Amino acid sequence: MGKLLIVNGSPRAPKSNSKKYIEMFQRHWGQESEVYPVTSGEHECICREIGKYDELLLAFPLYVDALPVPLMDFLRELAHTGLSPELRVHVMVNCGFLEPEQNRMAVEIIRCFCEANRVSYGMTLCIGSGEAILNTPFVSIVDKKMKKFASGMTAGRTDTLKVSMPLPKRLFIRASTGYWKAYGEKYHVGVEEMNSDKIEE
Amino acid sequence: MNLLLSDISLPEGLPERKENHYIDLNRMNIKNCMGCFGCWVKTPGRCVIRDDAVRIYPLIAHSERLIYVSRLFYGSYDVPMKRMLERAIPIQKAFIRLYHGETHHVQRDVVPKQAVFIAYGDISAREQDIFRSLVARNAHNMMLSGWDIRFVPEEAVWETMLSEVRVWENC
Repeated sequence: MGKLLIVNGSPRAPKSNSKKYIEMFQRHWGQESEVYPVTSGEHECICREIGKYDELLLAFPLYVDALPVPLMDFLRELAHTGLSPELRVHVMVNCGFLEPEQNRMAVEIIRCFCEANRVSYGMTLCIGSGEAILNTPFVSIVDKKMKKFASGMTAGRTDTLKVSMPLPKRLFIRASTGYWKAYGEKYHVGVEEMNSDKIEE
Repeated sequence: MNLLLSDISLPEGLPERKENHYIDLNRMNIKNCMGCFGCWVKTPGRCVIRDDAVRIYPLIAHSERLIYVSRLFYGSYDVPMKRMLERAIPIQKAFIRLYHGETHHVQRDVVPKQAVFIAYGDISAREQDIFRSLVARNAHNMMLSGWDIRFVPEEAVWETMLSEVRVWENC
């Protein structure tokens, strides 16, 4: 395996869930890797050095069914700089919804980027319930899947893996309501206020 | 209410009507969403970034007819439109519901809407497919009751905008 660059595509990279997923991944990767958070704003610099890497892992949250803007800016810079055909791109995307399949369009956009820039595409990990799962007993399921994802990358495989809380949808909704209620309480905002229909009023 | 959101300058000749709003995103000061969830848990329904986006997302919420004009970026909206869509999440709540059999965020005071997407640029068939599927996914989170997509070269964008706005006149 060649050298790996991991791009944290989260707009809140330093305290993002993507960062936690990346740390989990690195424990299974066991080889050299470097992490570039898109929030550091040094796209030009890192893209100029892309030739040093053989593997590129894009880790990010789903925003409006697609890629977050800072990651789009990074990809635009990368395409502008030029990519080596030897580079292999992998995706780890997480969304707050239960269904990991809701990440599908973000993956397709990255695949399209790879095709247009003539680089190969490798492994995909789609994470559902990604906002909360790391703080639940289900974290072990993610860890197991992460191990498979890392070994797939090492073996040069092309595969799509999915993981989420193994809960019926209605139970997930109840659990997520509790999660967000507790989140609001941290800021002394109650359910009634969070549930307001008002927009900018 | 009708709203046209564009990442390209607006053509002359758009009819002035009280119910029509036309916004050229390039003339707006709109910062990136920080993913802070402030609009859900700190100041529900209000973004903590007080720039031009805060007067646009209420228009998105309350419009029954919308025209989105965007260059495509590998089958996605390009940055100006995507940035605005990300900044529109105050119109949703943190809470999750079951919608069309999937988990989605609950909407605030958002009216169901008919939308037209004018996607322009040098667009491959692959990008068209991706964009069609992306809009179909967005429909669940944008309260779209129906939508059409027009793929056009850049030089035809103004003409397409004018013809789509004329459709509002007959509604």
